[in-house]
Amino acid sequence: MNPLHQHPDGGNGVRTRYWLGGLTVGFLGLAAFFLVTANSQPAARPRIPLVDVKFLSTAPWRQTYVDLVKAKEDLSDYDCYACHDQKKPPVIRFDAAGKVLVPKEHANIVMGHGSHDRNNLCYNCHNEQNLTTLQVRDGNVVKFDNIPALCGSCHGPTLRDWEAGAHGRTSGYWDRSLGDPQRLVCANCHNPHAPRIPTREPAPPPHLLHGNPATPEAAEPAH
Amino acid sequence: MSAPTPSPDRTSDAAMSRRSFLRGCAAFGGLTALAASLAPLRELGELTSEQFLQKYYKEMTPEDMKKVLARIEREVQHQYGIRPHVRDLKPMDGVEFVYALNLTRCIGCRKCVHACVAENNQSRNPEIQYIRVLKMPHGSMDVEKGDHNYTDASVPEKGFFYMPVQCQQCKNPPCVKVCPVNATWQEKDGITVIDYDWCIGCRYCEAACPYFARRFNFTKPEIPPERLNTNMAYLGNRPRKQGVMEKCHFCIQRTRAGRYPACLEVCPVGARKFGNILDPNSEVSYILREKRVFIQLKEEMGTSPRFFYYFDK
Repeated sequence: MNPLHQHPDGGNGVRTRYWLGGLTVGFLGLAAFFLVTANSQPAARPRIPLVDVKFLSTAPWRQTYVDLVKAKEDLSDYDCYACHDQKKPPVIRFDAAGKVLVPKEHANIVMGHGSHDRNNLCYNCHNEQNLTTLQVRDGNVVKFDNIPALCGSCHGPTLRDWEAGAHGRTSGYWDRSLGDPQRLVCANCHNPHAPRIPTREPAPPPHLLHGNPATPEAAEPAH
Repeated sequence: MSAPTPSPDRTSDAAMSRRSFLRGCAAFGGLTALAASLAPLRELGELTSEQFLQKYYKEMTPEDMKKVLARIEREVQHQYGIRPHVRDLKPMDGVEFVYALNLTRCIGCRKCVHACVAENNQSRNPEIQYIRVLKMPHGSMDVEKGDHNYTDASVPEKGFFYMPVQCQQCKNPPCVKVCPVNATWQEKDGITVIDYDWCIGCRYCEAACPYFARRFNFTKPEIPPERLNTNMAYLGNRPRKQGVMEKCHFCIQRTRAGRYPACLEVCPVGARKFGNILDPNSEVSYILREKRVFIQLKEEMGTSPRFFYYFDK
């Protein structure tokens, strides 16, 4: 029988004290438990690594002649007549399959303009009379700092899109009254000798709140 | 009749009666339990009366807004140790924003996803991202076949195309219709915004959005202070709190100051185009006029997105 419901009088004062003391301890214990849990932090979430800052870079993939001049970098690659003779245009040699034999001095050049391998003649773009300039097929000479004019002589629709801002990268201001947009030119993204954009490493997939098999590192507990 | 006198037994047994002692214990325990149950409120430590009594965004006077912006700057400095620059940028006259994304060019590198996170101060843990890039097999526009979680060593993979999806800034936004407290609305430049101080976190908008564009802060957002973007806007990228919705807002803090969104500037292949559709000379006007603009995503929903996907060839 529950002693709390007993009438208090009649010689059971010791039992009453015993019960009251027990209840006091119980309540104080509960209070302590509440206070401790109120201060505790929620369970630590799995650690998610911060994304590599290389994926946040807005820098162009390539530097053009103009960029190199601006950055006051080494322009020796454009000093053609350090090796070539001004009066003797270099002769292009072909292998049995009709492909250009790239001399070992130009071994860094990958010949890959066009998937059909037919646009493989250096003088389609380079000016044989003056190697420090370029030429379009109608004979007009183009300087190294005017790349879109050269590329656009064949890729007309792309040039039209680029001029309208629909092709290529733009940054800065969409509102031309507030600031200038910065445009990149063809060679900032495309290697003229192998213009197809190479494949790239993608940034990591999303980490979902309740785990994602694609990003297993999130399954590790935080330390 | 004489007044009843306490029983001599009781007074000799204890100085305090058992009943009053038990009452005292119960009251003490109850109060402790109440205090403990209210403990989560302590996480709202930053909730000042000033914030609690803040007016609805559209009813604020410029002076009210000035005080609110100062409060937000104070709170961010308190939390992150960095003084931000918070502005309330209004829509510009004669401007309606449109986004165009070139599916021929996109290589699925996900740089836009992370540039967006860096620009807009999303939580890094748990991760909140406004953009999801879907890897889709050629020959289909069925988003059910899209893979969010591809982990290829290099992209693009042959036989697939990549379709980034984010808030479509609908002309007829279902998310706005379902909000019970008008915490989200469409502004006149076409951007659907959220007032994070007005949102009650019911997530109706998340359920209503057919594009999975809205994200909920289930926990307190976590942003390393060194990665905090201090150029902030009230309806844009100011830090959110636990229990509110957020989503892409076309980088209000940039675009309403005339600049391009962050996802566009980081795109390495120039697949993203943005501008004022009311200006016939803008890039987006040219694209919608000249290009094969293939879809408004899920156009059968009648949402009329301001986000267009197009192809080059």
